[in-house]
Amino acid sequence: MPIDATMVEEAVTAVLREMNLFSPAEKTQEKEPSLQAVIPQITPAVPVVVPIAQLPAAEPVKQEENTAHKDFSDPQALERMLQKTSARIGVGKTGARLRTDTLLHLRADHAAARDAVILDVDASLLDALGLFAVQTKCTNRNEHLTRPDLGKIFEQETLNELLQKCKTGADVQIFASDGLSSRAIEANLANILPVLNDALAIHGLSAGTPFFVKYGRVAAQDTLAEALGCKVICTLIGERPGLGSAESMSAYIAYKPTVGMPEANRTVVSNIYSGGTPAAEAGAYIADLVVKMIEQQASGVNLK
Amino acid sequence: MKQSPDNSLLSVGIDIGTSTTQVIFSRLQMANTASYFAVPKISIVAKDVVYKGGIHETPLLDLQKIDMEAIRRIIEWEYASAGCTPAAVGTGAVIITGESARKENANAAVQALSGFAGDFVVATAGPDLEAVIAGKGSGAQQYSADNNCVVMNLDIGGGTTNIAVFEGERILSKACLDIGGRLVRYDESGIVTYVSPAAAKVAQTLGLALSVGSHANETLLSALSKKMANLLDQLLGLAPKELLLDDLQTRGSTPFSCPKPIAALCFSGGVADAIYFMQNDYQQYKDIGVYLGASIRESSLTRAFTVIKPKETIRATVIGAGSYTTTVSGSTIHYSPNLFPLKNIPVLRLSDEEERALFAGSLDLQGPFRWFLEQSGAENIVISLKGKTDVRYDELQAAAAVFARCVHAHLPTRLPALISLERDMAKALGVVLRQAMPERPLLCVDGIYAEHNDYMDFGNPLMGGLVIPVVVKSLIFG
Amino acid sequence: MKLSAALLGKTYTFASVKEVLAKANEVKSGDILAGVVAQSDMERIAAKEVLANLLVSDLRENPVVPYDEDEVTRIIQDGINETVYAKVRNWTLSELREWLLSYDTSEVAIRHIANGLTAEVIAGVCKLMSNMDLVYTASKIRVTAHCNTTIGGRGIFATRLQPNHTTDNVEGITASLFEGLSYGCGDALIGLNPVNDSSSSLGEVLKRFDEVKKQFQIPTQTCVLGHINTQIEAVKNGAPTDLIFQSIAGSEKGNTAFGFNADTVRHAQSLLKKHGTATGPDVLYFETGQGSELSSDAHYGADQVTMEARCYGFAKAFHPFLVNTVVGFIGPEYLYDSKQVIRAGLEDHFMGKLTGISMGCDCCYTNHMNADQNDIENLTMLLAGAGVNYIVTVPASDDIMLNYQSNSYHDAAAVREILNLRPIRPFEQWLEKYGIMENGRLTKIAGDPTIFLRKGGA
Repeated sequence: MPIDATMVEEAVTAVLREMNLFSPAEKTQEKEPSLQAVIPQITPAVPVVVPIAQLPAAEPVKQEENTAHKDFSDPQALERMLQKTSARIGVGKTGARLRTDTLLHLRADHAAARDAVILDVDASLLDALGLFAVQTKCTNRNEHLTRPDLGKIFEQETLNELLQKCKTGADVQIFASDGLSSRAIEANLANILPVLNDALAIHGLSAGTPFFVKYGRVAAQDTLAEALGCKVICTLIGERPGLGSAESMSAYIAYKPTVGMPEANRTVVSNIYSGGTPAAEAGAYIADLVVKMIEQQASGVNLK
Repeated sequence: MKQSPDNSLLSVGIDIGTSTTQVIFSRLQMANTASYFAVPKISIVAKDVVYKGGIHETPLLDLQKIDMEAIRRIIEWEYASAGCTPAAVGTGAVIITGESARKENANAAVQALSGFAGDFVVATAGPDLEAVIAGKGSGAQQYSADNNCVVMNLDIGGGTTNIAVFEGERILSKACLDIGGRLVRYDESGIVTYVSPAAAKVAQTLGLALSVGSHANETLLSALSKKMANLLDQLLGLAPKELLLDDLQTRGSTPFSCPKPIAALCFSGGVADAIYFMQNDYQQYKDIGVYLGASIRESSLTRAFTVIKPKETIRATVIGAGSYTTTVSGSTIHYSPNLFPLKNIPVLRLSDEEERALFAGSLDLQGPFRWFLEQSGAENIVISLKGKTDVRYDELQAAAAVFARCVHAHLPTRLPALISLERDMAKALGVVLRQAMPERPLLCVDGIYAEHNDYMDFGNPLMGGLVIPVVVKSLIFG
Repeated sequence: MKLSAALLGKTYTFASVKEVLAKANEVKSGDILAGVVAQSDMERIAAKEVLANLLVSDLRENPVVPYDEDEVTRIIQDGINETVYAKVRNWTLSELREWLLSYDTSEVAIRHIANGLTAEVIAGVCKLMSNMDLVYTASKIRVTAHCNTTIGGRGIFATRLQPNHTTDNVEGITASLFEGLSYGCGDALIGLNPVNDSSSSLGEVLKRFDEVKKQFQIPTQTCVLGHINTQIEAVKNGAPTDLIFQSIAGSEKGNTAFGFNADTVRHAQSLLKKHGTATGPDVLYFETGQGSELSSDAHYGADQVTMEARCYGFAKAFHPFLVNTVVGFIGPEYLYDSKQVIRAGLEDHFMGKLTGISMGCDCCYTNHMNADQNDIENLTMLLAGAGVNYIVTVPASDDIMLNYQSNSYHDAAAVREILNLRPIRPFEQWLEKYGIMENGRLTKIAGDPTIFLRKGGA
């Protein structure tokens, strides 16, 4: 088939479109300063029904030729919409189906999310951080995904190993676990652990020996806290990945948890990753929570 | 700054303008907008103007002096009628704007009023800051943020037109021209009683005979104001630029240049009402305000740009002063006890290059720090920087070592190390800094943008100690 | 009542009706987790054999949660039409299955008999049905409901437009809303899952939905799916809403874990009758999902299909406008893979329709489940063939807030074309007026959200 001008134009447009798809996020990052505090969440300046709709492009703007969204009746308006959400809008269609680039982006993001769930945490990272690894009663990834009950308990010999290797009776015991995203641990653990340890040291709190739990669920912390006799236990665990990011980690923190206690007794700090609360900052914040828990001898909904 | 039990701050705005003096009170309501399962994020969620005072004519002793005693009486009266006492006010700003700022005793007036009003922050405005305050008070900045577009606010008062261009949170450019509604005044019989130097220049360019004692006829006033509107066209590139435009640039203001196309215009200030609404009586205020408004309405400006309606016109500046000068820090920060309030601290801003060196541990901050400390004549300074999005531990250690060395060499141990960042990393840096300088008081905040040579005020912690209120200002008197 | 069966020389005996129901279930990871699953395929078939010979009355008289302990059981049992029940009480479940499938059985007859069937009977017959049986029977039954428009008509395939946002930013939500409308979605509902469950946040979004609905005169329904109490508070504060939503479970204990009971729902219903914006009588919206009872330890040792059927029995008492299962949201510990999700989707839809509620489905999956978009597209086409009232649609299948995938806006349009189905008629006329749809197909300008940004709309 001979290549004609239209096809070349379409190909170029497709590339431009694709580049543009990523521009909102980049722009948001570039947008400085992020004085979120100043954004008043009050009604818009003008009593309009739909502010986006009320702003036809003024003439001077039209001087800027925007070829990015040429299929759309108002390309600049689409650009403004894209800046307001990370949802995959303005993707266009062919027939009643997705365009190829949209489809493949989705599949790539899904593959990344699946890998984050299924693959193991890189052993060299654990070595570098000086963490040894133990495993719950789950024997493989599949069992980990389908048997949350096994992901919170341990063989007796594993508990013996922990007792042997770990300092017991510490103020705070920290451990990391893959949970539903190994990727989250790889992305955040090296930044959060040292800050958390420093912050606990400033408050004069003793920390137990940190380690890693493979195939772990949140409630594994109850078993471990009972076994190691710590006051507060903090689990850094991978969150269920979305297509947007597979790197989000949560911290579950509890004061003297016991097996079978209500979930509401845990304090949760979620959304720890570069696009949410940065890991180092979360580490410093978690230390404050731990101090509060030891003062009040409570966690979760009981923590004031 | 005082904290109300309900996690809100009462803020006062006092504006002494060319023609009017106004007082408003607003309540800044704070709340955690993050979910229960995330790190808290405290924001000012509502800025409710709880009291709007009257529009008082700014009392003058003569053309060169403000009547401070009369202004004090106005403010006392407004406090009483609002049912407020200075002690109940947590923050706010007194600003002196337009031609009033050029009166002989302007500085003294503002200082005197700050004493009267108690513990609140006194920010004073230069023409640029004034423009920004008015653009926030008018709602132009909010509109820009909501709609992701570039919006220019023109606050046209009695003496000046203060211009600010917003792109969301960012201020793209600022400008100020000596164009206003009260540059020419006349009495009941139409005899001119006042001509400002700027108005005289415009009249001269047009070859119009305008001086005190001459007759202010309809044709003359109309021609004069049409020219002023044309100068605004020139500023925005809708008409060829004349030298006169440079002549009317307000002393001390930035020359106008805008890097991005403007999507919409918003007018505030006293003249704005005459732009948005047709007036029957052009001479009702015995000045050129209504003529100027009509000329702008009929100018190319309103045809070439989308014009949005402001939330406030004549009160934009005072509301901006009362509601938009105070912000809150990020919600994960680090500070030592008993530091606050800290007032009028000069800002040393690090360049991008310096920041790169800082996080690599190779920055020599001592020279610039010492020089700026000496040059500002202040006891202490704030180091302001952008920070990093997902900072690594080794970068925190490197930066902390640089800061510690520098502060150790140049500040007595009793003085706090003060650091202000934009990116969310202050608490982590605070922890690492704390270890690097265990003895020294420390303040490390984020979520704040401050430029070199700005000044900062830090108030007492709010919301259970999660955040502190912050005022960033570009000029202070005295 | 015979609770044993012999198969290939081995006799299988079950201790209770509850155990028969559980073991007769198709394999679900949630039943394994609950420890109620059949130990072998043969035991499963033996349980089906026993179940096929149980009488309708055996199941009615043995609810899986006792009448005295549970308001869901009471609502279902007290809602039975005793005259109808008397007709069918001595039918075996095998007979009931064949009667449902028979050419001689009309839709009207099914709708009539359904009033004599408890949730356990409906779950029981479901377990005797193959996947195609479930599609075949469900396709006979249409259940309509009326809010501002009427949902459930034959030949109609409606959509909930779900414009979720990571921070509830109203402009961002509006952007996704316009995108969805431009693909012809939103005839069943414009409904947001909020991040921030506060009445002020809900009110802000509801206000925007109402403004958009009025500005463009869209014949549809709007709702923000906060907790029922938060929505009640929002309505009391003047927020405009057509529907009130709540996630429901198949036992009172499960509902208590969700923080509400039947009285809360009655309260919401009467509040909307006074202060809601809907013009029609059906003002409630429920979501369900197999396994939710187990996750709050409120399953009473029963299997997840039976507990799911009880959700529908509870829902029926309130004549909701919409009910849908969020079928693949709960995770692989309840529904392991695409085979289980597809089966569950077909079961839930069948049981909902037989119960007599306006049944839809959120055909979805999470990233830790062994399924992908292809599987969910399969389920959607099967359900469309079964006559599902509506599906849930999100931009390009990716829900950025709930972190799972559902159908894309595109899917709705494609399914309509493939199976010659249409949006709810007034909504279709609205789409035609805006040039988005012609003769049931998307036009060239469809898929362009900026068409709603022109001043004054069309």
